[in-house]
Amino acid sequence: MRINYERCGYCGACVGVCKSMAIELIENRVVIYEERCKRCKACIIVCPLKALEE
Amino acid sequence: MRWVLKDEYDVVVVGAGPAGSMASYYASKNGAKTLLVEKSQEIGEPVRCAEAVPKLEEFNIPPSEEFVRSYIKGGYLIAPNGRRIEVRGGKTEGYVVERKIFDKYLAIRSARAGTKIAVKSRVVDLYPYEDGFKVKIIHLGEEYTVKTKIVIAADGMESSVAEMAGLKCKKNPMEVCSCAEYEMTGVKLLDKHMMEFYFGDLSPKGYAWIFPKGDTANVGLGVIDKKKKAIDYLNEFLEHPILEGRLKDATPVEFKCGGVPVGGPIEKTVDDNIMVVGDAAGQVSPLTGGGIYLAMSCGSIAGEVAGKAVKKGDYSKETLMEYERRWKERFYNTLMTELKYKNILQKLSEKELNIIAEVIDGKLEEVDVKKIMFKVIKKAPSLLKYFKDVIG
Ligand SMILES: Cc1cc2nc3c(=O)[nH]c(=O)nc-3n(C[C@H](O)[C@H](O)[C@H](O)COP(=O)(O)OP(=O)(O)OC[C@H]3O[C@@H](n4cnc5c(N)ncnc54)[C@H](O)[C@@H]3O)c2cc1C
Ligand code: SF4
Ligand code: SF4
Repeated sequence: MRINYERCGYCGACVGVCKSMAIELIENRVVIYEERCKRCKACIIVCPLKALEE
Repeated sequence: MRWVLKDEYDVVVVGAGPAGSMASYYASKNGAKTLLVEKSQEIGEPVRCAEAVPKLEEFNIPPSEEFVRSYIKGGYLIAPNGRRIEVRGGKTEGYVVERKIFDKYLAIRSARAGTKIAVKSRVVDLYPYEDGFKVKIIHLGEEYTVKTKIVIAADGMESSVAEMAGLKCKKNPMEVCSCAEYEMTGVKLLDKHMMEFYFGDLSPKGYAWIFPKGDTANVGLGVIDKKKKAIDYLNEFLEHPILEGRLKDATPVEFKCGGVPVGGPIEKTVDDNIMVVGDAAGQVSPLTGGGIYLAMSCGSIAGEVAGKAVKKGDYSKETLMEYERRWKERFYNTLMTELKYKNILQKLSEKELNIIAEVIDGKLEEVDVKKIMFKVIKKAPSLLKYFKDVIG
């Protein structure tokens, strides 16, 4: 999962759908723990700003 | 502030949104030694909300000028063809608030009741420990471990904290409304005391809104859509002909975005030594996406129950179940009915929405969906297919 920090609005919607607990929002910075990611794309679907890409 | 994180507590509440501030307020008020932990450096920031709240009297919170920006008398539900249905009174009355100030106000109110607060402090893990939890918190890059008897997970949409304790509260992406919003000044409102809701293809499976907010208005929308993003829909909405140029001279002063869990409550909101409240528990109206009132109500119950449990010295699931019983008694049926209505609304085409608006014709005293459905079916029997499950 790649995150475009210029687009991200640090809202945490992606965090709330990641059942693998692979995303964390640290104040205004989204962090993705690749080793936990199952590539389910749930985070991509809910992101309102298209800040996430495979 | 570090000393706050070097102590032990009866109750640790995670997240200083409306759910967490109300829960910690009542926990403190009932005598529990309570810590409220918020990861942001400023409570109330960033805002992910359209900021409409119903009347607050039942919480004994006066509608202070400090945070109230507009008084709301009702709303216009606007069909794709522009036909307006006016709804006034009852549950539609309330305020549009400045959430940054409102959330902070609620946190201060909780602090006055005795709650200690840690800001810029992020909960990263929970470990079961004797009869309670060890809460791992990171503050300014340093790690702290705080012991507590009860954890109240009020971490909002992110819904991570209860997962750390093994409860399931992550949401299905097709049950999350993806939202984008500009707060704008210079908006020509239909009425400065009325909210505007727009339905149809301009905001698939959700709606667009314009909420008056003092000198500004919140202009936003929520969608459930795999292909196109909320921000793209929003940019189109700003220029949509249905607005008849009412945003032509408007300019943004703030951008907000976020996800609203509209799939109904999670299954289990209680376990030994832990309760889940607010967005994290899915306590949000599936129909409107409104969650502030429910977060405050359910948060209040959780705080009270935590206080009682501490007095009893019993933090077991059985004791904490009082919280789940009480919030379900008040809200569960309504939430499940709204979920059904939402599922119908999401299936209606623009043409069908127009028919419904025509049948209702103008004004609604109250949103009694059942009554509306019977009226609609009488005039447009073809719509019965959607409603039969709910009427049956
Ligand atoms: C665009 C949009 C518009 C909305 N409009 C409305 C509306 O008009 N009216 C309405 O009633 N509702 C609205 N809602 C829903 C409403 O915002 C939520 O239901 C409400 O904020 C839920 O309150 P809460 O206390 O559960 O969570 P939140 O208000 O989200 O608070 C959770 C807090 O927990 C903190 N937190 C998270 N994780 C951690 C951690 N690990 N450690 C420490 N702290 C943590 C967060 O920083 C946050 O401050 C809207 C939502 C969105 C996205
Ligand atoms: S793709 Fe799935 S598992 Fe990976 S970060 Fe996104 S939501 Fe989590
Ligand atoms: S959902 Fe998108 S905008 Fe929101 S925090 Fe995640 S990546 Fe950023």
